Amino acid sequence: MGKKFLWALILLVAIAIAGGIYYFKEEPASAKVYINGIDANFPPFAYVDKDGVPDGFDVKSVDWIAKEMGFTVKHQPMDWDGIIPSLVAKKIDMVASGMSITDKRKEQVNFTVPYWKIAQVIVAPADCTKSVDELLSGGNKVGVQRGTTEANWIKENLIAKGKDFELVEYDSAPLAIEDILNGRIVGAAMDDAPAKDAMRKKPVKIMGTFGMASEDFGYAVRKEDTELLNMMNAGLEKLMASPYWWELKEKYKP
Amino acid sequence: MAESLVILYGALPYLLRGSLVTIAVVAGAMMIGVVVGISLAVGQVYGGKWLRRMIAVYVWFFRGVPLLVLLFLFYFGLFSLLHINLSAFTVSVIVLGLISAAYQSQIFRGAIMSLPEGQLKAARALGMSDRKAIPLIILPQALRLSIPGWSNEYSIVLKDSAVAYALGVMEMMARAHFVASRTYEHLPLYFAAGVMFLILTYLGTKGLRILEEKVRIPGYSS
Repeated sequence: MGKKFLWALILLVAIAIAGGIYYFKEEPASAKVYINGIDANFPPFAYVDKDGVPDGFDVKSVDWIAKEMGFTVKHQPMDWDGIIPSLVAKKIDMVASGMSITDKRKEQVNFTVPYWKIAQVIVAPADCTKSVDELLSGGNKVGVQRGTTEANWIKENLIAKGKDFELVEYDSAPLAIEDILNGRIVGAAMDDAPAKDAMRKKPVKIMGTFGMASEDFGYAVRKEDTELLNMMNAGLEKLMASPYWWELKEKYKP
Repeated sequence: MAESLVILYGALPYLLRGSLVTIAVVAGAMMIGVVVGISLAVGQVYGGKWLRRMIAVYVWFFRGVPLLVLLFLFYFGLFSLLHINLSAFTVSVIVLGLISAAYQSQIFRGAIMSLPEGQLKAARALGMSDRKAIPLIILPQALRLSIPGWSNEYSIVLKDSAVAYALGVMEMMARAHFVASRTYEHLPLYFAAGVMFLILTYLGTKGLRILEEKVRIPGYSS
């Protein structure tokens, strides 16, 4: 009796492991299948749709480029904190997921031509009557997504220079939105595109910029991957000249 | 409220598929944990001085370093340096398994040491070598005693598995977060994920209770 049960248990575990391995077997980068690492918590540029399929402005852009340039792409949701290490360690081949082109990142990876200009804004509850300056003072708590360019900029240029507010770091911009609605923070700094996305879904509004210069989004690839870089650049130029680019803008409203 | 429920209902198949990933990670990690953990425990109780010291270092290391650090060390460091291209899923299973082995070894060690010393002595007196007596006499008793402590470990590994998303493993928690990011319904989705973890904990510990009953030796007490 006991033995039978044990065997059943072992069988169950074996099935579970086999299932897991089968599920993930296509993961390593093989010939011509490029893996695009995305931050799936970054609507409207990258997220997963109702059926769990990666979707968003960047996802659909890369799909179009892949079709045009004749390669296959798989979108792999990743933690934003680990996305550049994953790229460098060849776990993924590119990052097309609303990544700002910065000098610091350029030390580790190469970027394509810019495809989107993004401004950093402060988001606050829809009934907020204060100015951005008032929000960023008086010991207020202000949210931001950890590991982003705006988080670093605020620390270096506002907090370090004696602005009197506290920065609260979140896993994702939508989580910061949630805490605005909870009233735990007075506002949050984020890219304008996800801010607009939040405005469409929740009672928040964009209060304005906070002094940070606008940034450009580009796709990141490994330094040595010049072939892929050239292909993505060519693909991006084709895409931006095609009517599909306007369709994408219309659909995702970034 | 009604809107949240509609979103939750729509997301359920996606979350349930995530629970299968979670189950696979936990099952794999527990298996590695048992095999390595038993070896460590036997080595730590019956091994020589140096073996005991090395095992103590292993247990100290894997119990001491945070899970996230170990995941990054193995995924981006060790396996990449060795040019072994393992998927995020496999690395998560291995790392969780090696950590669990450190904890499980102490569960098994405690169980082995709770057996009367006379057991091994009697086996030796009957002419059994230690190599025979440990797997045939000691372990069958010790493993039975380990099951309650083991169910603890199961529920810990289950919840730790959520950290595997740091490498991109799409388990339950990561999926709940994705849906929440799209819909801005964080609370209902995390609540649902919590309930699913509770159900998995219940099923696992219940299964171990049944196992404990099934393998119990009537009238036996150590």
